Amino acid sequence: MKKSTALLIFIILVYTFLIGPFLIIFLASFGSEELMTFPPKGFSLKWFHKVFTIVMFRDAFWSSLKIALGSTASALILGAPIAYALVRFKFPGQNFIEVIFSSPAIIPGLVIGFALLRFFVLLTNLPILLGLYIGHTAILLPYTVRVISSSLRNFDISIEEAAVSLGASRLKSFFIVILPSIKTGVVASFILAFITSFNNVPVSLFLTGPGVATLPIQMLVYMEYYFDPTIAALSSILIVFTVFIVQSAEKLIGISKYV
Amino acid sequence: MRQIHQNRTILFLVFIPLIFIVIFFLVPLFFVLIESFYSKAGRFTLIRYINFFMDSRNLFIYLRTLKLGLIVTIFAVILGYPTAYVISNAKAGRRSLLMSVVILPLMTSPVARTYAWLIILGRFGLINQSLKAMNLIKTPLRLIYTENAIIVGLLQLFLPLMILSLVSAMENIPDDLEEAARSLGAGWLKGVLLIIFPLSMDGLILGATLVFTGSITAYVTPAILGGTRVLTLSTLLRQKSLVLMDWEGATIVAVVMVLTTLILYILLRKLRPKLI
Repeated sequence: MKKSTALLIFIILVYTFLIGPFLIIFLASFGSEELMTFPPKGFSLKWFHKVFTIVMFRDAFWSSLKIALGSTASALILGAPIAYALVRFKFPGQNFIEVIFSSPAIIPGLVIGFALLRFFVLLTNLPILLGLYIGHTAILLPYTVRVISSSLRNFDISIEEAAVSLGASRLKSFFIVILPSIKTGVVASFILAFITSFNNVPVSLFLTGPGVATLPIQMLVYMEYYFDPTIAALSSILIVFTVFIVQSAEKLIGISKYV
Repeated sequence: MRQIHQNRTILFLVFIPLIFIVIFFLVPLFFVLIESFYSKAGRFTLIRYINFFMDSRNLFIYLRTLKLGLIVTIFAVILGYPTAYVISNAKAGRRSLLMSVVILPLMTSPVARTYAWLIILGRFGLINQSLKAMNLIKTPLRLIYTENAIIVGLLQLFLPLMILSLVSAMENIPDDLEEAARSLGAGWLKGVLLIIFPLSMDGLILGATLVFTGSITAYVTPAILGGTRVLTLSTLLRQKSLVLMDWEGATIVAVVMVLTTLILYILLRKLRPKLI
């Protein structure tokens, strides 16, 4: 009894530490004063209204959405064949391929953004949006390769062999036999990759430029100049969305296994 | 014949993704590495690294970054172990709820997450206002732009990684083992120390590597909670490149960051080849 009470209190404290700050940001966004204080004085919804009137946030939101959707789709399209090759075949250089496609997760994002800016974007005068899209695709590849590989490992190869021996091409059997049975993994890697891209700062930091910024970068810029609760209101909106996505993804597919 | 056919299939599968990652990831990274080790005349040199570490400010920032990483890792173990133990023993429904809450800090916008600490630790934030209300302080304490603020922010972000690694290690331990220990007369603490601890060692090592490398390379947390007053490697990299336009200096910081991280991963692979 004593052991479980002590543990219970400990766990409550740990969870308070992990999610308490989110509740505080939520409360702070309803304050009515120009300067951020806590506990907030008064009650007002004006900061939520302000979020939607600031054009740079709206533009940044659309850029972030475009980049996140585009890079997630590309990382799935580029990652799926690698995952399939790694799981399905044994070939020389397999280890190399595996290491190369997991390394964007190991190399610090800041360095990836820095290298891409210096030795590609600046040399080729690449459009900013395209640079962001490429950088994000590179850092998402390890997620898609890893999650799809692990789903493929649980897939019974003989089913695919059956489809092929009945006359389906490999490509066709991938779409009609394999894809439906690994769709949980595909959905999980889509969600993880999308969130990773949408929230990314280190890579975007170097690749944003005049006129084009992602939402997190725009928030950082705003914070340098203003200390009113607008960022708190915007953060609250983002947190509510995240909680909703994470809770449903955990219920439906157990997303925490894939993190 | 079949072998040739198979090789063509593999080449077909691997070709385009490989081209992509080589051009947009490997080659730029390779150039960063080359630039840091070769002089303008094209000769191999370590002079830039020597100069970097001879500058006491850089050395101080490097050591501070490692120190912060170490402290965060230690706290993550202390807080993560009991939490992971409870989660791995919870019933399915509650377990799923506990897990989905644990991963929230990892999934939330880093700016939003760190901004919350600004509200808590700021000049007019929760802690200062409470202390003032209790008449414990007259003027607000400076809590942000300190090493402690960075530690707290990083811990909230990376504690979930430690918990996840430990939970997945503890799940593979059969429940009977702990029960057997208890029925043979061991108390629960002894059961944990003799059974759970050694068998979850892999999770601990993996978790510690992830937390430490994550902490020494994180950007948003030190940028917001440390500012320019408490620089770490990552905020130094940004300052040198985007503010001072000292590209060569920034390159050295970048390579130092990469090599420090890689050495840890290579060590991990040597010590525990199964883990990654």
